[in-house]
Amino acid sequence: MPLDTSTYNLALLRVDGRRWNELRQQKAQMGVQPSADGSAYLEQGNTKIQCIVSGPNERDTKSTSSASTAPTSGGQGATVAVSITIAPFATVDRKRRGRNDKRLQEMQTTIASGLAAAVQGQSYGPRSTIHIALNVLSQDGSLLAALVNAASLALVDAGVPMTDYLVACTAGSTSSYAAADEAADPLLDLNTQEEQELPFLTLATLGATDRVVAMVCESRVQLARLEGMMATAADGCKGVRDFLDGVVRDKGELMVQEGAVGRGEVVGSMDLD
Amino acid sequence: MPREAEPSQNEKDFILKAVREGQRLDGRALDQFRQLDLKFGDQYGVADVTLGKTRILAKVTAEVTVPYTDRPFDGIFTIATELSPMASPAFEVNRPTETEVLLSRLLEKTVRRSNALDTESLCLVAGQKCWSIRVDLHVLSHDGNLIDASCLAVVAALRHFRKPDTSMEGATLTVYTPAEREPVPLSWLHSPFCITFSFFGAVQVGEDGAEKDIWLLDTTLLEEQLRVSSCTISMNKHGEICQVAKPGGAPVEAMTVVQCSTLALQKVKDFSDFVDQKLAEDSKHRNKGGLLAELSADNAR
Repeated sequence: MPLDTSTYNLALLRVDGRRWNELRQQKAQMGVQPSADGSAYLEQGNTKIQCIVSGPNERDTKSTSSASTAPTSGGQGATVAVSITIAPFATVDRKRRGRNDKRLQEMQTTIASGLAAAVQGQSYGPRSTIHIALNVLSQDGSLLAALVNAASLALVDAGVPMTDYLVACTAGSTSSYAAADEAADPLLDLNTQEEQELPFLTLATLGATDRVVAMVCESRVQLARLEGMMATAADGCKGVRDFLDGVVRDKGELMVQEGAVGRGEVVGSMDLD
Repeated sequence: MPREAEPSQNEKDFILKAVREGQRLDGRALDQFRQLDLKFGDQYGVADVTLGKTRILAKVTAEVTVPYTDRPFDGIFTIATELSPMASPAFEVNRPTETEVLLSRLLEKTVRRSNALDTESLCLVAGQKCWSIRVDLHVLSHDGNLIDASCLAVVAALRHFRKPDTSMEGATLTVYTPAEREPVPLSWLHSPFCITFSFFGAVQVGEDGAEKDIWLLDTTLLEEQLRVSSCTISMNKHGEICQVAKPGGAPVEAMTVVQCSTLALQKVKDFSDFVDQKLAEDSKHRNKGGLLAELSADNAR
């Protein structure tokens, strides 16, 4: 069913009632899997991701055969290996996906080399691997962005040193590629319905800066729209970073309350105050 | 798994220092492409692209098949990439490397998803018969910038290709041989081209500590091994972006990406004119003397 974008111009409200620069409701939790080295659960609207980090371990080629890998610190540090599994029940029509789906492999590569830019891998040897397993439990747009955010959070939980959070967000444009419509609005954080109808891009930045780590645009769009979409997505990334940072700080606060660590005590290199 | 030989530390330092000073090993400007050449084969739909020492061959074939059940009104269009060990010792047969997966995904997104080829025009009988167009891409020699060269080869081969003419009379479908009827070109909507920017970190410019990202166009294999990240922008000459991919790697200022996309448009226009010109030359060459020569009763004896 095509998305009806005609009403947008009247009330400036999107199909789910958001304004152009609003993110969807986000929920996140760290340490959902006590047996793992690091784990996180992230919801962005109806997109739900679970992420398990194991490692750094000694490199094991068997477990990383289907994963995409990227070396950190110019080959001198640990390797980041990412594998994505999309649950058959993640979409409305239940279907099983093959392991060597090229689209998935591309996403794995993008996430792996994106995270490799943020991870300070030189503290581990070049023969160690940080394995990140991402499970997509429910899929409703901005998949790549949600995967990146979940992986970032799980890496923080695992205590892997990073320069900053790697955060990602999508942005679209209300006008299709054909229309030379100057009044087109950029939209932030698209859901599936909007993604199917509108041109959009996914932007991953390092923390709240304007430094682009990864960028993926798969739809036809006028060159003039690119800057607006990128600016909107970068703004969204700042919002996501604030949110993730809040989650991490809440978790730290909880750890202090529960007596796991003392206030002001330095755990590893992380200052909990 | 065999790996590409890594450049030595001396080579690395030398090239990186030269790039920071705005120099390249082969004396090109930072935004200059190597010598580009495009040759068409005797058959329709064969394009041979040479970009410096990189050489790519694309061949288009067509056959009549049954369309996919979920898309009864569309023809089938596939791009098959093959990186054989002939091009580089790092490639293995029957085991797609990451380079190959990314290359085929990029071509898929640039040419197929952007609807450069109108697949609906390939339908012959809805739900029963359609054309299946297949592009086979062979990398004959790998000296960097596979993506830009491959995309050019695919687009040129598809635009050069002619499929047999067909007609429907009642329920009978006739496919004519080239002797019976002149083959017809594919219904081509726009020509997208890929431009890959390779980043090499940032240098300081001016006194205030402002940094500027350094990027190169059309990198050789050696330069490609040393880059910290890359960004491929696909566009057509009308300024429509078909695809942008910066698959991770070191971060780059957002403004640099925007500037790159403007420059990409200029390069895409050059590519577009180049392919148009080569296609025109080829059709002139094939059609010696034009219609008059064909109608003339004189023969060579």
